[in-house]
Amino acid sequence: MSTRDAMRRLIPPGSYVLFLFFLAGIWLTISSFVMTTQPSGSHWITSTVNSVTIGVIMMVVSLLGILGYMLFALRDLIRETQAKQVAEQQV
Amino acid sequence: MNTTRPSLGKYVCGMAASLIIFLAGGWLILAPFALGYQPYGADWVSQTTNSFVMGICVAVVALVAFVLFFFSLLGSLRSAGVLVAPTRVVAQAPVSYQTQAPVPQATAQSQSDLDKTLATLAAALAADLNSRRQAGSDQQNDQNESLVNRSEVR
Repeated sequence: MSTRDAMRRLIPPGSYVLFLFFLAGIWLTISSFVMTTQPSGSHWITSTVNSVTIGVIMMVVSLLGILGYMLFALRDLIRETQAKQVAEQQV
Repeated sequence: MNTTRPSLGKYVCGMAASLIIFLAGGWLILAPFALGYQPYGADWVSQTTNSFVMGICVAVVALVAFVLFFFSLLGSLRSAGVLVAPTRVVAQAPVSYQTQAPVPQATAQSQSDLDKTLATLAAALAADLNSRRQAGSDQQNDQNESLVNRSEVR
């Protein structure tokens, strides 16, 4: 199996979408400060708390999704390779 | 058929992440109104616009991600032989002289059944034709023999 095929199996199209969510999470986290809706030096207002919380959740969940898929796919690849090697040895 | 053991964990992982993010998108749409930082009846403040637009985009794209992972799961189950691949519909050539209602298209399975039936029918017709030919040749032989006998008598 070539490196390209292996990467394709490790990173499906859905993972690219999850990466977009990771970027969206970053934006949600910093948006209150970038758009200056959060007054500087004061306690966080409700919208800031909400957007930062949701942003962090999105970043964590999307990263976990990408990494989880990658780990499971890597495990499958290793198992397939081991099975192939065993079959070749038997032949 | 080469089958592999399906590993569903990775698809479930992606689908769960997409579902959680879809719910987060829904919450982002509702949050300005639920948390009360958008005054009722007034123009939308910038936080509301940002949250609402992000929520809609996130929810729609999360659905797309869920569908992508779901179809990957279906493909994996098909390759493992758990699900049966969809049968191809055999396209029939359009017949110009046929004015009746179109015949429903047969699937590959019914096509093989039809082939078997046609083969049986063809074998029966060939056997019938052979027996008729044999009977015809016997009759001709009889006629020839009678003609020979008559000529000998004369």
